[in-house]
Amino acid sequence: MQHDVLAHTEDFGGPDQHLESRLCVPGKDAPYEQYALGKPFDEMFTPEGKVRSHYASLDGRLSTLAPEELLRRQQAVELSFLHQGITFTVYSDNQATERIIPTDLLPRIVTAQEWARIEAGLKQRIQVLNLFLRDIYGDARVLKDGIIPRSMIYGSKHYRREMRGLPVPHGAYVNVCGSDLIRGENGEFVILEDNLRVPSGVSYMLANRDVVRRAFPAVFRSMGVRAIEHYPNELLAMLRSLAPFHEDVSIAVLTPGVFNSAYFEHAFLARQMGVELVEGRDLLVNDNVVYTRTTSGLKRIDVIYRRIDDDFIDPLNFREDSALGVPGIFNAYRAGNVVIANALGTGVADDKAIYAYVPRLIRYYLSEEPILNNVETYLCREEKALDHVLANLDKLVVKAVGESGGYGMLVGPHASKAERAAFAEKIKADPDNYIAQPTIQLSTAPTFVDGGVEARHVDLRPFILHGETTTIVPGALTRVALKRGSLVVNSSQGGGSKDTWVLSE
Amino acid sequence: MLSRVADSLYWMARYIERAEHTARLVAVKLESMVEQTREDADASWHRVVEALSAEEFAGKGHDAYVITQALAFNRFNSSSLLSSLRFARDNARQVREQLSTEVWEHLNKLYLRLQPVTTEAVWGHHPARIFREALEDLHTLEGVIYSTLSHNEGWHFIQLGRHIERAQLVSRLLDLYYRQVPGVTTPKYFDWLVLLKFCTAFEPYCKAYTAQIKPETIAEFLVFDAEFPHSVRFSIDSICDALNRVAPAAPPARRANVERLAGKLKATVDFGQIEELMSGAIVPFLADVTRQCEQIHEAVHLSYIAYGAETVL
Repeated sequence: MQHDVLAHTEDFGGPDQHLESRLCVPGKDAPYEQYALGKPFDEMFTPEGKVRSHYASLDGRLSTLAPEELLRRQQAVELSFLHQGITFTVYSDNQATERIIPTDLLPRIVTAQEWARIEAGLKQRIQVLNLFLRDIYGDARVLKDGIIPRSMIYGSKHYRREMRGLPVPHGAYVNVCGSDLIRGENGEFVILEDNLRVPSGVSYMLANRDVVRRAFPAVFRSMGVRAIEHYPNELLAMLRSLAPFHEDVSIAVLTPGVFNSAYFEHAFLARQMGVELVEGRDLLVNDNVVYTRTTSGLKRIDVIYRRIDDDFIDPLNFREDSALGVPGIFNAYRAGNVVIANALGTGVADDKAIYAYVPRLIRYYLSEEPILNNVETYLCREEKALDHVLANLDKLVVKAVGESGGYGMLVGPHASKAERAAFAEKIKADPDNYIAQPTIQLSTAPTFVDGGVEARHVDLRPFILHGETTTIVPGALTRVALKRGSLVVNSSQGGGSKDTWVLSE
Repeated sequence: MLSRVADSLYWMARYIERAEHTARLVAVKLESMVEQTREDADASWHRVVEALSAEEFAGKGHDAYVITQALAFNRFNSSSLLSSLRFARDNARQVREQLSTEVWEHLNKLYLRLQPVTTEAVWGHHPARIFREALEDLHTLEGVIYSTLSHNEGWHFIQLGRHIERAQLVSRLLDLYYRQVPGVTTPKYFDWLVLLKFCTAFEPYCKAYTAQIKPETIAEFLVFDAEFPHSVRFSIDSICDALNRVAPAAPPARRANVERLAGKLKATVDFGQIEELMSGAIVPFLADVTRQCEQIHEAVHLSYIAYGAETVL
């Protein structure tokens, strides 16, 4: 293994001697001198400071590794990402700098029981969200029955009238979903956000696994971590299941191009699936059929996994200034000559306001109780809730309904009085556009910072595939807020990511 | 194969070839300048600058430091070593999913290693070293491309790009040595030696013609040798081979013009004679080769890359 900078022979030999929790005090003993246990749930330590049993192996390994060795492995991981080109570009002073999204060396571990509940809850949720989309683009029963106010659907900028009455294969509108879960103070996993448009991050889930497994091979092997490497196969199988016929289906991944921050992921998935990666300029529509331009002539495309937003996909039907899209592709879609995944118009269901209604939708469509709860949410459009929000701005997180990526957001307890006052005016001017939630403490997990192991806040984004059947690969992207005390995990605002180990038992 | 992908592979190969040519010229020049008189070294630097079309960036002087900076690391000079590598990498990134991990990582690492280098930092000790290392990496890259990519249509587009670029670069270089310009120092024995080294041709030449350095035999070797990979004929044969194998399923009507031009170019070298070239025809001959390469470049683009959809529906 000499050629592998991440692997170490020491890791392969000998039994694991540290499966029993050893005595160590977070905040005092190495390597946890700076590890702060507070009110939030901690993934590794009980409130009394004892290592939870599913972290014992990792703790054992950490206690025998010198900090310099950890640092060396961390640097090896970062260099490996740089060489693979897993980077995003920052433009300043006419200079383009490429940065990696920081990856933390220490895995986040999820037990089999926890996963079973997450998996069941996500399956229930994706089923309901698809039923809901089929309903609002069909008979709109849910509106007639008064479960959701009409204005919230027909007034949403993500509602696509063009999709009304248009059947989609298997009734599956959302084919790839990346839901964000967090763990509250009591340790319960709850849903923070459904990402139903073009969720990204799955390549980081796979790339993190690839490097972290090599950094801790013995611990990885001994713990029975479930495999995730088949995600691209599952994605391909799901996309195939959407085609109206099953032989010789031609599939392509549609990317906005090399300047998109998720371009690495688009290329990665196309390569792993063995399908073509195309840009809008590679495609053309003739007589409502979509073709790619090849050196030998035109070739028909049947299924498109698109990583371009609705707005930009077809300048003839949506934003006419879009240079990324394919003129006429929506007409080909309506004619049933091409399948686009995810379907258009799914954004109406991951709106932060609709989110608050999902538990009611689960009861409405399935007559079941939600397996995974929502974070308690106040809809500013409801007068009582608005009064409560304005009176308690210092305790709440307020979000604009249509924004994502941590933008258009007020974190009450961390904001100044002036910032809160300014935001209150914005809310009053357009209450329908805002929701508020209590400041939920994301759970903390051990993270390698400045040569030691510290507690940092994390969330969890598993990826759900939904075509003819629903599949969830047992893994997730764990995003981590690298700044001490910060709750913002978005990579655009200083977040990093971690490998996530789902245990088989 | 997607037309855009073919185009990016083609350009990636052209830029890699250009980077290799630039690195070699600068390395050989830096190594050889100590053995020349001031006047000869100046004339020879001037030829290098002209061969690389960098007059605008190298200035009028003959200062080796300034010229090296312009040819190697000037980011505004779009044909500097660093710019060529950047463009090669940009094109590779466009088709990342078509390349092997080995090819991409090798090219990416080379770029990341050279990107922060400055002339100032390499000048102190042995300035040629960084270019020799880059050459070594580029040779390895060629091997990695050969042995880790399938030799499919994309690979033939890579070959096409490499040899169209090489044929033009070598022709331009030869033109500077065989053109008689009044008032400019004519090449001396040592300069002919350097010319061979610019084309990695010194040892193969000696095997074919012994160490007798004569402009006629050098021209014969660098233009007509069928087996040496940096000769004009070798590149032209490679261009014709590649053109026979790209766009295999394109209809005959769309292939016709490309095939006609390839045949014409092949005939130009097949029926050329060294005696004819040495009695004054070499400069127009080289210009003709360059122009025909341009025509092939345009015909490939029109037939396989940017054809109008209306022509095939």
